[in-house]
Amino acid sequence: MVDPAVLAKRARDVVGAEHVRTGPAAAPFAVDGVTPGVVASPGSEEEVSRLLAAAYELEAAVAPWGGGTKMGLGAPPLRLDLVLSLARLNRVVDHEPADLTATFQAGMSLASVQAHLGEKGQFVALDSPFGARATIGGILAANASGPRRLPYGSARDLVIAVRIVHADGTVTKGGAKVVKNATGYDMNKLYIGSLGTLGILTEATFRLYPLPAVEETHLSAFPTLEAAGAAVAEILGSPLVPHAVELLSAGAAPAAARAAGISWAAGQVGLAVLMGNVPEAVRAQLQDVARFCRGAGSTADHLVTGAAHTACWDAIREFPGPGAPRSLVLKGSVPLTRVPELMSRGEGLAGQRHLPCQAVAEAGSGIVRFYVDAASAPPERAADYVETVRGVAAELGGHLVVLEAPLPVKRRVDVWGPVGKALRVMQGLKAQFDPKGILNPGRFVGGI
Amino acid sequence: MERQRKAKLAAALGAIVGQDGIITEEDELRVYECDGLTIFKALPELVVLPRTRDQVEAIVRLCHQERVPFVPRGAGTGLSGGALALEGGVIIGLNRMGHILEVDVPNHRAVVQSGMVNVWLTNKIAGDNFYYAPDPASQTACTIGGNVAENAGGVHTLKYGVTTNHVLGLEIVLPDGEVVEFGGKALDPPGYDLTGVFVGSEGTFGICTAVTLRILPKPEAVKTLMGVFESIDDASNTVSAIVAAGIIPACLEMMDSLSIQAVEQGIRAGLPTDAGAVLLVELDGPRAEVEALLPPVSRLMRQNKVREIRIAKDEAERLLLWKGRKAAFAAMGQISPDCYLQDAVIPRTRLPQILHEIAVLSREYGLRVANVFHAGDGNLHPMILYDGRNEAELHRAEELGGKIMQRCIELGGSITGEHGVGREKRDYMPLMYTEADLEAMRKVRQVFNPDGLMNPGKIFPTSKSCVEVGAGGRDRIGYRPHRLEVMGLAQRF
Repeated sequence: MVDPAVLAKRARDVVGAEHVRTGPAAAPFAVDGVTPGVVASPGSEEEVSRLLAAAYELEAAVAPWGGGTKMGLGAPPLRLDLVLSLARLNRVVDHEPADLTATFQAGMSLASVQAHLGEKGQFVALDSPFGARATIGGILAANASGPRRLPYGSARDLVIAVRIVHADGTVTKGGAKVVKNATGYDMNKLYIGSLGTLGILTEATFRLYPLPAVEETHLSAFPTLEAAGAAVAEILGSPLVPHAVELLSAGAAPAAARAAGISWAAGQVGLAVLMGNVPEAVRAQLQDVARFCRGAGSTADHLVTGAAHTACWDAIREFPGPGAPRSLVLKGSVPLTRVPELMSRGEGLAGQRHLPCQAVAEAGSGIVRFYVDAASAPPERAADYVETVRGVAAELGGHLVVLEAPLPVKRRVDVWGPVGKALRVMQGLKAQFDPKGILNPGRFVGGI
Repeated sequence: MERQRKAKLAAALGAIVGQDGIITEEDELRVYECDGLTIFKALPELVVLPRTRDQVEAIVRLCHQERVPFVPRGAGTGLSGGALALEGGVIIGLNRMGHILEVDVPNHRAVVQSGMVNVWLTNKIAGDNFYYAPDPASQTACTIGGNVAENAGGVHTLKYGVTTNHVLGLEIVLPDGEVVEFGGKALDPPGYDLTGVFVGSEGTFGICTAVTLRILPKPEAVKTLMGVFESIDDASNTVSAIVAAGIIPACLEMMDSLSIQAVEQGIRAGLPTDAGAVLLVELDGPRAEVEALLPPVSRLMRQNKVREIRIAKDEAERLLLWKGRKAAFAAMGQISPDCYLQDAVIPRTRLPQILHEIAVLSREYGLRVANVFHAGDGNLHPMILYDGRNEAELHRAEELGGKIMQRCIELGGSITGEHGVGREKRDYMPLMYTEADLEAMRKVRQVFNPDGLMNPGKIFPTSKSCVEVGAGGRDRIGYRPHRLEVMGLAQRF
């Protein structure tokens, strides 16, 4: 533990006293119960660099902080002296509409990025949740994504260049501001999803996409996950180009239906298929989707458009919604055809443990999220649930990560799960890039 | 390597792969002295051709133990001198590991050995109406392992991305012989994205032996248009106008007048030899989308003074429109003894500017430059025409190539879009990256390849001057078209 007074003085020298918090003012920036001695908000990349250089010299443990929406991700920190807030790095660096590229500072929120680009009919094809607060840097560090990753990919497919400040304050760039680049190693990939353990992102350049002319959704009800899964298989095996395919368990579907203004029969599973395209292609493809759904035994079929469409997808992306219990969130990833099985077995195992649980799946990407109310359950039981569902995901050919969990549960499980022999390489990278272990120590895989 | 040591190593390697899997005679080793860019040559001391992952592992362990440099090689179609044994040692040819291990259509995945030829996978799954999207021009010859090493592109990358966007898992023999697996069929594996880091590492991080790939359903409809323009500016402006209209075609390919003339002297693809440029636009996707986008694309061409629009009515006509584009590189042999092919990238909006600058530089250096390129993603392929028998001209060609790369960087671009750095462009790296940027890359190499035994001499600048001039000769830069290319049956770029 570094003397907070010493660290605070160094931080004030770099960013100015008005951008440094200490004592009780730093308490809201606790990470898994560990409160930092100092919170500093640099106003430029140079200040980030000088701040990190000072932390490196003092061997102070640093956690970068964007909008704070993903601070639940990762294991509890081993140490934490300084929270480095990127909130003031919130500018558009450049945007060339005709090149379909744009660069943003890391602290800019996804919603403001989209608002800026939307004026030119473009967007960053990321729709991870809590866009109003979630920042570009945080989204990339956590490799967050949302339903629309199906046609566009995730951050690894969209980021073409980054600027990053390394543990000792050195600033480097990766990639180039062009959509195609094979010059040197692809450093962007190394930093995306690294949870700030290799450096702190200050800027990212994206390849952009034009906003689809129209977006409409087919929402179907099915009696079982298996029936809905059969419709998914038909859709994904066809030449249709859906922009999202979401499977909603019987517990989760009513929220989406309610947002869409649709009455929903209890116990029915939901399937939402989003088409984004020119109007002709949206209509033609939705007709095909409706046919596939009826063929697979749908019990109700709805077309969702306009404001209801936006509300419906907000509800799906940000399930279970504000105020709803959401103490344990798991993300399983399996081959596409195993999604229904992971959903039903995951919910079944929760039921056996008396843990309320709903599953929402990006069925076209093989990703299942379990939202579990574990707040009042003994942590041993929740931890046992995590390990058991992880075993199921592994059996189905995938893996499972804990996105959020109460601290007592985190203390009992490995939130990331095993990474096999690749851990040796990952530890080697951490040792090269952060030899003193000051960046988010202990929060990443294998204790990195 | 001294003779006795080499004989001992050959015997040990022979014990691993069998005598038919080892090449020691100089005349046979010559096959492996260069890749598709014949400018650089380096004769390996031994070539070994494993058939299994276990054999690769044993070979690598042996090389590591004996401190012998080693280089993996696929089909040798690379265009940056990446698969050369610059410090001697062993080339490990993966061509005998060409099996498709698993096709899993319902999960949109395939697992293949790294020596598998790119197009074989698409051929195998065509009956299921699926395909593998990255289609480098050499796809009938190049291997997936080479595609992974170079992060290969192709003509459809504008819409579908490059190799890295389609590789989800790797089985790798690390340079000390340890076998590791990165990623797999399921997305978002926990930990650092080592799959993503490995793709494009140009054979300096390890040898991938198996690759998990994403496969896609074939688009419902494809429509190809060719626009004939009086000037390259009009064609470039059309590209920008299409993109600005929110349309992302499957590809946007352009040829300038010199390329058109070369093609027509060669294979006669029916291109108008008095045109300033031709632009190929391919739209694909749901039929309703393709039909809806065809009129606006044609209208944007007309707004930019297109002289003629040809629209393919069927697959035969589509292939005819592509014929000239595919034969363009080989056709350079019709108008020049030698050709130095480049791969720089610029932001798309800088196309007219860089093409003007290339024209000016071309006059300044007294060398013709033909341009055939992926206009949609700003990936230029300037072809500097020269006569390698004239030493001074060769030097000028090299210098001009460096100037073009430099200008592309100054305009915010990159020195290579899909060919990689390899041996060829290693000394141009400082144009694009600071010493700190390069040091971060070296740290990654240090983790994977701490002894530097794997593929030494690639990617990173040497301490020598920026443009290093080695032994001269007719073939130094030279790209020699294969006869299949001359016939318009195969292509590379």
